[in-house]
Formats: sequence, C-alpha cells, structure tokens
Amino acid sequence: MSLLLWIGMFFGFQPQSQDTVALAQVDVYAPALDRFAQGQKVENYSKSILSEYSGRSLGDLLQETSPIFIRQYGPSMLATPSFRGTSGGHTAIFWNGLPINSPSLGQSDLSIYPVQAFDKVQAQFGSSGALFGNEAIGGSIHLGSQSDFDQGLQLNINQQFGSFGMRNTGLSVGFSSQKVSLQSKFYSFKIQNDFPFRDLGQPETPMVNQDHAAVKQTGFVQDFAWNLKPNQQIKASYWWSRADREIQPVMGSTGRDEQEDENHRMVLDYFFFGENSTLNLKTGFVLDRQLFNRSSNDTDQYFLSGDWDKTFNEKWSVKTGVRYTRAVGNLSTYQATDTRLELYQSLRFLPSEKVSLSVNFRELAYQGGGIPISPSLGMDWKLRNASPLSIILKTSLGRGFKVPTLNDRFWEPVGNPDLLPEESWSGEIGLHFSREGQFSWTTSVTYYRMEVDNWIIWLPKGNVWSPENLREVQNQGLEYLGNLSRSHGPWNFSASWSYTWSKAIITEGLGESDQAIGKQLPYTPEHQANGRIEVSHAGLSVFVGTFYVGERRVTSDGGRSMLSYQLFNLGLNYENFHWGQVKIPLRFQVNNLFNTEYQVLYLRPMPGRSYQLSFSIQL
Amino acid sequence: MNIKLNQFLWAVALNLITMSCSETEPERPLGEYETGILIMNEGAFGSNDGEVYHFDPITGELKADIFEVENQRPFAGLLEDVVLHEERLYLVANSGKVEIVNAGDFRSLGAVSGDLDQPRSIAVVGKKLFISDYGPYDSDFNTPASYIAVVDGLNGGVVKTKIPVSSKPEDLFAYGKYVFVAGSDKGKVEIIDTEKEIIYKTLEVPGRPIQFFEMRGDLWLYSIGANGIFFQSFHLDNFTKKTQTGYPIPDATGRIAFGNEDLIYISTSSGWPDYNDAISKFSLYDSRLDINYLSGTGIYGIGYDKNNDNLLLAFSKGFQGNGEVVIYDENATVQKTLTVGRGPSGFFFY
Repeated sequence: MSLLLWIGMFFGFQPQSQDTVALAQVDVYAPALDRFAQGQKVENYSKSILSEYSGRSLGDLLQETSPIFIRQYGPSMLATPSFRGTSGGHTAIFWNGLPINSPSLGQSDLSIYPVQAFDKVQAQFGSSGALFGNEAIGGSIHLGSQSDFDQGLQLNINQQFGSFGMRNTGLSVGFSSQKVSLQSKFYSFKIQNDFPFRDLGQPETPMVNQDHAAVKQTGFVQDFAWNLKPNQQIKASYWWSRADREIQPVMGSTGRDEQEDENHRMVLDYFFFGENSTLNLKTGFVLDRQLFNRSSNDTDQYFLSGDWDKTFNEKWSVKTGVRYTRAVGNLSTYQATDTRLELYQSLRFLPSEKVSLSVNFRELAYQGGGIPISPSLGMDWKLRNASPLSIILKTSLGRGFKVPTLNDRFWEPVGNPDLLPEESWSGEIGLHFSREGQFSWTTSVTYYRMEVDNWIIWLPKGNVWSPENLREVQNQGLEYLGNLSRSHGPWNFSASWSYTWSKAIITEGLGESDQAIGKQLPYTPEHQANGRIEVSHAGLSVFVGTFYVGERRVTSDGGRSMLSYQLFNLGLNYENFHWGQVKIPLRFQVNNLFNTEYQVLYLRPMPGRSYQLSFSIQL
Repeated sequence: MNIKLNQFLWAVALNLITMSCSETEPERPLGEYETGILIMNEGAFGSNDGEVYHFDPITGELKADIFEVENQRPFAGLLEDVVLHEERLYLVANSGKVEIVNAGDFRSLGAVSGDLDQPRSIAVVGKKLFISDYGPYDSDFNTPASYIAVVDGLNGGVVKTKIPVSSKPEDLFAYGKYVFVAGSDKGKVEIIDTEKEIIYKTLEVPGRPIQFFEMRGDLWLYSIGANGIFFQSFHLDNFTKKTQTGYPIPDATGRIAFGNEDLIYISTSSGWPDYNDAISKFSLYDSRLDINYLSGTGIYGIGYDKNNDNLLLAFSKGFQGNGEVVIYDENATVQKTLTVGRGPSGFFFY
C-alpha cells in the first residue's frame, strides 16, 4: 500500500481514492521515458492502435502512423527505421530498458518485432546519446511490457486470417494479485506471401506470383512482477522469438536465400523505493542466433546496470547510473568480444511552474576507444497553461554517437579497428498545442537540424569491402503532427495526421569531387505524410487511414528515383459482440485499398490489396 | 569486354576457312547502338541496377540507361558481360539471367531467366546458347556445383541441361563445335563438345584462367598466378598447349584490354589495405613492358578504343552512386571524363 502511495506521490499521480479498490489501477513500476527528456519529442502509441496492428510488425506500425520512414525490402522482409533522414543503425531500440540492437549489425529488423509482443511502444526523436546511449542519433524506439497488479485473471485470444496465406494467432493470459503479477503472451504468425506483382525483370513485365517470401514467426513473452516489500519490487521479462523466412529476391534475381532468426531476451529489475528516490538494479541478456542459408552469425550481449533517481524537492531531481555491457560475437567470418562501460547523469530543474529544464551527460568507454562526454540540454516552457488550451514550447540540443559495430571493426580480414565512432549534434524547437473538452485536439510542429560526422560506409576495395569514416551529413526538417476527437451523443469522431519534410544532405563524401555532395541521401524521402479518420457509434467503428511516401533517390547522384506512393487502408470494427460474459470484438481490414503498385526500395515488389479478418475472445 | 567482338570476328573467320562457308549476307544499315562504345555498368549488389550506356567518341554524345530507355523497363540485374553474336547482343547478369537484345536498337528479343544462379559469360554455337555459371554458393561460400547451362534457341528460353564443370567458370570461347571454358578456380580449361553436350577434354593450365583472346591468329588464354600472370596459346587441331609465357606482374585483377600494335593492358591492385591500383602495358611479342603505365585508385574496368587509340578506365566510386570513365590518349593524357552509371566495369567497342 505504501509503495503504491509512494509511486503516486513521486510522479505526481493522484490515486482516485484511498480504499483498496483504487489500488487495482496501479501498474508495475516502469521509469518514465520522458522524465529527463525535456524539449524532446516523444510519441506514445495507444493501446487501441497497438491492438489494431496486433497482427502486423512494428515496421508497419511506424511506417503508417509516424514520421519515421521504414526502409523495407519486401513484406515481412528486412525493415529498418530511418529517423529524420538517418540510417537504421542510427536508431537505438530498447525492450524493457534493455538495448536490443544487434552488436554485429548495429541495427534491428523491425519486421520480426510483431506489435502483439508489446504492451507499449514509444518513439523518441533526435540525437540523445546522453539519455539513451549508443546509436541514439536519429532517435530511439522503446518497447516493453505493461502489466498490472490486482487484476485477477485476464485472457485474450486473437485469431486473424488474411490474404496471401496469412494466419496469426495470439494468446495472452495474465493473473495478478496485490503482490504478484504474471503475464504470458504467445504468438504465431504465418504468411505465404504469394502476392501477385508485375515482374519488371522479365520481358513483357508479366504479372507473376511471388514464390519465395514465405514467413513463419513464433514467439513467447513472459512477464513477472513481485512486490517483495512495501518499498521493493522485482520485475522480470523474458522474450523468445523465432522467425523463418524465405528471403524475397530482388526482381531480376533468382536468389533462394533463407534466413532463420532466433532470439532470447531476458531482463531482471530490482527497485528499491526510498524517500523520494528510486534505486534500480538491472541485469539482462540478449542472445541473437541467425542462420543465413548455412552461414551462422551468433551474438550475445550481457548487461548489468544500476541507477539512482532522487527528487530533492519540487525543483530539483537527479539521476545517476552506470551500465556495463559485454558483447560476444561468434560469426562465420570472425569471433570478437567487446566490453563497454557507461556512466550517465541527469538533472532536472523546475525554476517555475511553467518551465522545466533538464541536462544530461553520458560517458562511454569501449575496447578500442571512448566517447568522452555526450551532453544534452532541454527545456519545456508552458507558454499557456489555462484550460482548455495549453501551449508548450519544447527545445533541446543534444549529442549522439554510434560505436562502430563488431562487423565494422572485426570482420576478417577487412574490419577496420581504427574506425572512429559516428557522432552527431542535433537541435530542435517545437510548439505543442493541446485543447481539452468535448472537442479536443493536439497539434505540434517541430523544426530540427542535425549534423552527423564520421558516418561509416563500406566501400569496395579490390575484391573486398571495407568500412571507413567518410561521410558527413547535414539533416534538417519539419515535423507536423496533430489529432483531434469530438463526441456528439453516441457518436465519436477522431482524426490524426502528420507531415514530415526531411532534407538530408551529404556534405562530405568520397573526396571533393564526389558528386553526391550537396545531394539528398539515398532512400530518404523529402516528403512523407499520413492521416487517419475514424467514426464510431455504439461499438461499431469505421476508419480510413492513408500514408504518403515521397520520391526517393536510389543513389544520391544518380538519375534513378523511386516513385512516390500513397496507400489507403480501410477498417471496420465491432466491439460489442458478446457471448455470455465473453467479449468477442470483430475486425475487418483492407490494406492497400486501391491496389496500388509500389516499391519501397528499388525492384523490391510490395503487395497490392489485401484483406484481414480478425476476432478476439476476451475474458 | 572489347575482346568479345574480336572473338566473334575471329571465330567467324576461322569458320569461314575451316568450314568453307560460301554464304554471303546482304549488308544492312547499322543501328543506333551498333557504332561507338557500349559502357557496361555492373550495378550494385542487392540493387540490381546494372545498365548500359552508349558513348559516341565522334560526337561526344553519351546516352544513359539505353536498355531501360528502349524497353520501358529496367535491366534489373548485375551486368557481368556483353557478347555480340550476329545482330544479337547478349547481356549477362550475374544476378541470374541473360537478356537478349537487338544490337541495333537494343529492343528486347528474349531472355534466359530461369534456372540460372550466377551466370558469368555466354557463347553461341549454332542455335544453342552456352552460359558459364558459378552455381550456388555452399555454406563456406564455395561454388562446387558450377556448370555450363545449355539453352536451345538464340532468343533464349529455358535451360535445357547443365554440364558440370570445375568451380567458377568464367570466359567462354566458341570454336567450331567446341566451347572452351576458363575454369578460374581450379586452373583448368574444359573443352565442351556442343553436340554431345559433354566435356570433351580438360587441360591443366597455370594460375587462374580468366579470359580467352585472339592475337595474330592464335587463341590465347590469360591467367593470373600468385606472383605474376600467364599467357598460353593452344593448338586448335588437337587442343594442346602451344606456347606459354609469363610476366612478373603482381596483383593482377583480371581486367584486360587489347590495344593497337599487339599491346596488352591489364589492371593491378595491391588490395587490402592500401589499394594502390595501376595499369601495366606490355606485348607478347617483344620486350615492351611498363608495369606502372598509369596509377590510381578505384579502377574497376579497362578498355581500349582502337579506332581512336584511347585507353578507357572505369572507376566505380565505391558503388555509392554514379561511376566515372576517364579516357586517355596514347600519351596517357586525360582527354575526357564521363559520368556514367553505377559500377562501370567494362566496355564493348564496335
């Protein structure tokens, strides 16, 4: 009980009442992502959106609903995020606070992160090496579980059927008392992916069916939380996943590559809640097993960290911590280990009710180099905070960095141990408006500017390719997001939209005569937008979503460009179908409504119109 | 790739002599792309954005992406080799297909697009196509299942049969009913009987056989050894070794061009980690040898325009975008620089 009250006081939450019934709303503790992230843009995904995308990948979710561009090699194929014109290796990805990017590749494949494996998804934009460490140059993605105490038994079974042989089954079962919370999730996703497409690699460009893109994914997530004592809590999560994929060949190729990915991720947290302070000890591991054809690439990462978060008074809060990481690579081309030690400090200062400031620092040392100090500075200034309208000015400046990956440094024989870390400086300023009431809306506009130096690219050298710190890139852009909702009797109306302008220019390349200098980075759309409208009445809702991706160059200096495309999705949900006490929501969705032919990357076909029918059983 | 036309003309000449061919063909006007220079742009791995550029050295006009322009679809492959046979041009993509176009207008005539793995080159005998193919990689990135694919029909079609050969077959040379195969991995030349579609004879040769060429009426093979390069000629009556010579030129890359006055140009590279590239110039028939005729970095292709006495070097520029072709005159002075497609790797000279 005191723990619950303490959490409420510490974070300014007001329990609805002090009786035992109110306790049912208390979550398992998780540090707030934006506690020291003043001035930075953080997007949270609602449970309803996560539910809507439960049969799809994290890449699909982000591509269709955020300003992030997803470089996708085909449906359910490799998908990497591009925040603000940066590359997939410039995005830090966390699962329950554990960095899960591959240490050999320095990035993650979002197509094998099914949305149904997570209870919460957050995206943070801009360089924030001080807060989030390695690879947080373009931004960071935070995934995790969110279980509750005192909820009793909960069961949710979800079954989906879709075009091109798609079958998805999700099972979630949870039980929690005031002391213990358990949640298990199981998912199984299969798709034949035999969609028709126009084969540009053959004479007469015939329509053919994709015959080598079948995917099978299975996973299991187990969450556990235990209130050891009124002021101590233990939390643990384990996630096993496996994906077997036929790699869709690029048009004109006859490749029959296959890839198996198996991942074990485990995190264990201990929280000690002192007087206005929290001590968090964390340990965990990420074991990645990849088999590409018959070539195995295995990496292990082990983490041990601890931090202390203290609120001294209404104005001052600090956090300080340390993280130790050991990475082991056992790949077909090399064996290597790396050890990293990070120290981080955060300070939050609230000089007035309207202004909050934060300063963060991080130092990182790794085998072969170090990052001396990465600072960030941010401010939230409530220009207006009178109901119903509030206006917040958010501005921040931060440094990001990326330690060269194991592949970059140790690949035999071309790895380059002398590579420098990639570094970035990023600043942004934005205005956030929100209005509460029957007709509520929020909107924000953010301008950002970033410079990334020592960008590592692999270049052919004779018969081999070798990495070098060659490129410097300057990014700037505008992000405009908004949503609104209005209720009118039993009718509810909501809309959301975003537009992104992104200019990512190469300022240094392969020498002064490099024709790419001054040009937009490859596969970086200058314009991107999405929108969605939903109308609901008495449990029935209809939505139309659309997203637009502008023209992308295949190479910076080449004449070949990928056409822009706009896709529409249409969905119909019915939430009020019951069978006794059992709730059975039904959902029907049409993706790519107008059967648009498009490619995200050159000669990588994407599917046309597809259908998806799903129902859930909820206890 | 300039030697492909030489090979073709020489083979025709040999056939004219040995088979007493008396047919004459009516002259036809040359097509738009049957003069000047074709520039092969290999494209980047994973992107399949190989293409062909056409350069007219007389007017200086450079036409980009002529396959896509003439066929309204991308080439969609990694361009490995270009071989002319009569009015057909065979574009070999090591990503797994062979496109066949009319040499005059570059319009598609057909393709071999199924059941190939990593095709490297092609030879035409009668109405059959013979395609050298590395075959699939095994788990150690070796290619133990290399083959010569046989296709009936000059305009492509399906692979009729595969003749197993030693690992990593490269260049092919058609002579009569036989096709010579440069088996680059095992130091072999395998001679295929195209009627029986079997290996007729296997010859052991020094180094890694890379390319066949004709010079002064002889068939030669260019091979790369550990510390030098080798040239071997063949008796064509009994398919045995005729002569062999070598040069102590280290780090040869396999790129070779043939100039006027029997001069040969090859590119070398010190490789990782220094990557000092150079062009060596020499003759098989006298003592002319200039190991460092030209030097630079990033040389990915070489060709010689005999009509204008120009050496052409292709620079891949790291495959990050457009490549570059630099044209040198006979004094090794830069005459012109062309911005071309991705990964320029060779030339075809008319």
